[in-house]
Amino acid sequence: MINLFLIYFGKFTLFISRSFNLGHGSTWPGHIALSVNKKFINQTLKKSRAKIVFIAGTNGKTTTTKLIQTVLEKNGKKVFVNNSGANLLNGMSSSIIEYSSLSGKIKCDYFIFEIDENTLPLSISEITPDYLIVLNLFRDQLDRYGEVDTIAKNWKKSIEKLPENSVVFLNADDPKIAYIGKNIKSKKLFFGIDDKSLGQKDLQYASDSLYCPNCDKKLDYETVFYSHLGIWRCNNCRFKRPPLSDNDASYYPMQGIYNRYNTLACVIFSRTIGIDETNTNNALKKYSPAFGRQEKITINNKNVQLFLSKNPTSFNESLRTIKELNAKNILIVLNNRIPDGLDVSWIWDIDVEKYVDVFNKIFVSGDRCYDMGLRIKYSMKSLNDNSKVRIFENLKDAVEKAVENTNENEILFILPTYSAMLEIRKILTGRKIL
Amino acid sequence: MKYQITVAWLYPDLMNTYGDRGNIICIKKRCEWRDITCKIKELNTDFDKRELENCDILFMGGAQDRQQQIVTKDIKGEKSNIIKEMIINGTPGLFICGAYQFLGNYYKESDGAIIDCLKILDLYTESPKESNNRLIGDIAIKSYFLKDKPYTLIGFENHGGRTYLGKNLKPLGKVVSGYGNNGEDSTEGIIYKNIIGTYSHGPVLPKNPKLADFLIEASLKIKYKNIKLKEINDILETKAREAIANRLDLEL
Repeated sequence: MINLFLIYFGKFTLFISRSFNLGHGSTWPGHIALSVNKKFINQTLKKSRAKIVFIAGTNGKTTTTKLIQTVLEKNGKKVFVNNSGANLLNGMSSSIIEYSSLSGKIKCDYFIFEIDENTLPLSISEITPDYLIVLNLFRDQLDRYGEVDTIAKNWKKSIEKLPENSVVFLNADDPKIAYIGKNIKSKKLFFGIDDKSLGQKDLQYASDSLYCPNCDKKLDYETVFYSHLGIWRCNNCRFKRPPLSDNDASYYPMQGIYNRYNTLACVIFSRTIGIDETNTNNALKKYSPAFGRQEKITINNKNVQLFLSKNPTSFNESLRTIKELNAKNILIVLNNRIPDGLDVSWIWDIDVEKYVDVFNKIFVSGDRCYDMGLRIKYSMKSLNDNSKVRIFENLKDAVEKAVENTNENEILFILPTYSAMLEIRKILTGRKIL
Repeated sequence: MKYQITVAWLYPDLMNTYGDRGNIICIKKRCEWRDITCKIKELNTDFDKRELENCDILFMGGAQDRQQQIVTKDIKGEKSNIIKEMIINGTPGLFICGAYQFLGNYYKESDGAIIDCLKILDLYTESPKESNNRLIGDIAIKSYFLKDKPYTLIGFENHGGRTYLGKNLKPLGKVVSGYGNNGEDSTEGIIYKNIIGTYSHGPVLPKNPKLADFLIEASLKIKYKNIKLKEINDILETKAREAIANRLDLEL
């Protein structure tokens, strides 16, 4: 009964804060409900048929979330998506209030949550997900998230607590993620890639999981798809890539090998909940990218495409993908604000050397444009090659010049960090410059 | 005559967090831009100790705990003795963060457990009781490695351990902004013969080209005696340094 009252009261608060545009309205009612009844979320959900999906991983959370959301919605499901990480519980209970009818019934089929590295254990201890997707683990913002090994250990410990009726989808090609599946109670399904023609011979430089998570000996890779993801085995303890439940999709809506994994995660999830392949594919064909993730924007008849590049792995994969797309002009924007991480050392883990020759012009901007300028300078064969690099402290100037220097039949590829991506979208879609 | 040097990169597979590879790239490029051949020898676990012969510069980066344990097993004994001898004989080297701690006597973890280190230099490191109490941020130190005039070294530090130097050791410099060795005594890093130990990531060499040239020159002097390095256009390096100095409200 108290919960029904909290729903009424919450809806009222939501209405008031929205009508008067008070801001932060979205998590207020949830906060109030939780402070009155700590068990509000678990109790209300137990009564409903709504399923909870958690999506974790260093790279690809937002894209995977949007892929799954698209498939669910195109198949008639009501979906709520939350990506406010730290605000998980308030966001969750607010969304329950918003999606509840006045009789206390939840009118939503799926709640999807993007969970960042540090909040996964806490989130699992508060809410039991029906489905958990674990995509990958790379070095990212070591100053904030800590070391990859520590994160992997914490993840495994908390995932071990999930009950038998939860389903965990694990990326088998990432050794640390595959290892999470060892001795867990919940149902586990592995996805990965089998097509060796997509692989490379060498490991990329910034690879993190070269050593066996089970016995610490060096792993042996038959094929590497990107970073440390591939077909691997340990010749010492015999731990190896687990058998895959899904290894291919009939349609991939986005470029890049990293997006294959995101699509595979979506496909294996959709199949598990009973959506057939044709319906999944039809939905995926209508997919449009999330903010900054291969998002295309047209400005003054010039084509621009944003490739969010926020850590060494995502940067390497952006470079590899745009090289395949025959990129000539690029703009790199490096910020080091809170969402980007304060430390920019990671740019030296990018394999710039492998790609720098194919670009005609490289524009550089952002709070740390000179650091990025140095990284590029030290990737050049001769000091003279540096003449194709132009550095702008002012981002608007950089965007303006880069767009100006792009022909109408070309694409300007922009590789920004997270906060830079938001700034650039504002500049491009606000059409304030030019 | 074309000059040539070889850099021993110790355990790149394991000791390579925070873009430490940038230091190797920097040494190699600053040699090549001067027409000096620079070979990089990657020495991973189970490497043959004879590989260290004919190496002119030593480099080792930081690491995660688990990885440091694997390295300890491999390096103890003969390899460690050879490295110690090289250091005493003046071979230049750069040891970052975990590798810097590694040169000392021991590392005391927050639970009191003692991890033995290589005992090459008289220093030790302790981890504070509160494990999340890390020293993180931009760092600037005034250093005298050039002997004649001070040079401001700029980097980014991120470490849990607090390092304390023995009486006879000289720090790399005095902290102007940031924490340094332990956040207490204003010292940062170590300079011993031609070896540099530091908590500075960033990575440290590209942002401090004079330190990179110091290591290169020291190695060439041992091999070829009288050497003077050609100047390189460092305008971009200077701008990157100034950008950080401005943030920290410092003058270079």
